[in-house]
Amino acid sequence: MDYDKTDFMLLDHTADLGIMVRGSDIKDLFEKAGLALIQIMINPGPDRANKSIQLSLEGNDPAELMVNWLGEILYLFDGEKEIVTGIIINSISPTYIDATLKTVSFDPEHHDIICEIKAVTYHQIEVAKKDDYWEARVIFDL
Amino acid sequence: MTIKLERLDDYRWLVPKQGLMRVPGMVFSSLNLIGLLRDDQSITQVANVATLPGIVGHSLAMPDIHWGYGFPIGGVAAFDLDEGIISPGGVGYDINCGCRLMTTRLLADEIRPIMRNLVTALFKAIPCGVGSTGQIHLSRSEQAKVAVQGAAWAVKNGFGDAEDLVRTEDHGTMEGADPSAVSDRAIKRGEDQLGTLGSGNHFLEIQVVDKIYDPEKARAFDLREGQVTVFIHTGSRGYGYQICDDYLKEISRAISSGKQPFDLPDRQLACAGLKSDLGCRYIAAMACAANYAWANRQILMHWAEETMLETLSISPNDLGMKLLYDVCHNIAKKEPHIVEGKELMLCVHRKGATRSLPPGHILLPEIYRAVGQPVLIPGDMGTYSYVLAGAQGAMTQSFGSSCHGAGRVLSRTQATKRAKDRSIARELEDKGIFVQARGKRTLKEEMSEAYKDVSQVVEAVHGSGLAIKVARLRPMGVIKG
Repeated sequence: MDYDKTDFMLLDHTADLGIMVRGSDIKDLFEKAGLALIQIMINPGPDRANKSIQLSLEGNDPAELMVNWLGEILYLFDGEKEIVTGIIINSISPTYIDATLKTVSFDPEHHDIICEIKAVTYHQIEVAKKDDYWEARVIFDL
Repeated sequence: MTIKLERLDDYRWLVPKQGLMRVPGMVFSSLNLIGLLRDDQSITQVANVATLPGIVGHSLAMPDIHWGYGFPIGGVAAFDLDEGIISPGGVGYDINCGCRLMTTRLLADEIRPIMRNLVTALFKAIPCGVGSTGQIHLSRSEQAKVAVQGAAWAVKNGFGDAEDLVRTEDHGTMEGADPSAVSDRAIKRGEDQLGTLGSGNHFLEIQVVDKIYDPEKARAFDLREGQVTVFIHTGSRGYGYQICDDYLKEISRAISSGKQPFDLPDRQLACAGLKSDLGCRYIAAMACAANYAWANRQILMHWAEETMLETLSISPNDLGMKLLYDVCHNIAKKEPHIVEGKELMLCVHRKGATRSLPPGHILLPEIYRAVGQPVLIPGDMGTYSYVLAGAQGAMTQSFGSSCHGAGRVLSRTQATKRAKDRSIARELEDKGIFVQARGKRTLKEEMSEAYKDVSQVVEAVHGSGLAIKVARLRPMGVIKG
């Protein structure tokens, strides 16, 4: 997994910022959304991941699962000072995700922060299967 | 659903009751400002808030209204304590984001020659930027004291003095705070962010009083033309964001499982009954964040004073820094209000709205009882901020509320695109404003064109009687995250 494979669109929102992400399947969607969040927040540079974090999360539906998933990645950065640089999704369903996150420790002297995201919101959240792909719209509070 | 908007007069726009709205909406705005809302969804958000259970009067929006998430920013809504709800999204992630203004004995002409040095010194002394951490590392037990005591904790620990508490909304302490309602994650995020400014639209400014509109009230606020003031805008940092996030999740889950029986037009409006256990726990946690924010601003004020004393090499008496007032603009509070002739206790949500108490109000400190509450309205870094005084019109129309700032008109992406290769710092310097920012894109995202004209917003507030213009402040030096 590298950043060249991350594709998402930024959505304009007067006070905040959103993303629209597409994935070939739900696994691809969650991977891309997680990496999109990091790409908006911070440039982790060429550092190699030196830590692995196991994560299992539930949600009542895909939308809640997405808010919980992105919220975890955000918390890892803001609370634990760990930047996610790689995502391996071990198993996923519309209400459950189990993943291994590769991280590097945040170093303010070294890492280039782009934007502070306060939270992942439920505002106008949409995570759904379309004809032959999955799509998510998520708004962040800046 | 197309939301209708009916112009009532120069400053009032009615959103008639339709669909699931329990009450009508009311937007305080002018003809110019209302036109700026065409392309966003903030009026729909006013209508969405009107569908919430127990809402009283109108779903309100102040003249700086813009598109938020769930509630509009600049939204005010009051709820009946028995039938009504509390909504973390109606308070916002940055619980008790707010402003404090300090007056000094300095004149602008005295410090103009050394503004560059002063801004550099403040930029070094005040931790700012994304995820900034401060000089204070709180143990768990000490953080619990901050959460309960608020600004009083800061004063007890040598940051400022007791007189400052009199000049802070609610004396800088919200009652009912219970640290046991705060998650480990919020505690973790809060442990090293006390005494930090943060990023985005948060700032510390050195300003000059540029114009006085109401000499009598200005005298009572100790404001005079040419005088230097210091303005701080920040909130509860990661501690507050996490508390909001935690409870939104828990409340959303309760709604999905049918424990909180609400049918919501937007999931971000997730709410709990004011009397429910979950609602009470959120209120107790929200109070912790409100107190954290008051302590934060109290500490930052103290460091700003220390830095100015050192950089200017003057005595505390010559600097004469005094807190004028501190207000919060993201909060929910239980307050008495008159509705249809009856006094009722209501839970007033102010999301991007400032309390505006009129002269004589019982909650005002003695020093401001005769003139009304100072209402602090920050603008953008290239134009003005304003000081207003609370007015009776706010009590009769907006549950004692006024606006909280200029309100964005361009998204951050639009602002950055429009700024292209311009040097915003140089442009500001040409206007006599020295600015330093931590983030690479901050100055472009925060440039004047990204905001509504704060003077028009304040004119609409004054014109609709929500508060009275007292003084205009012009920035001389700005630090941002």
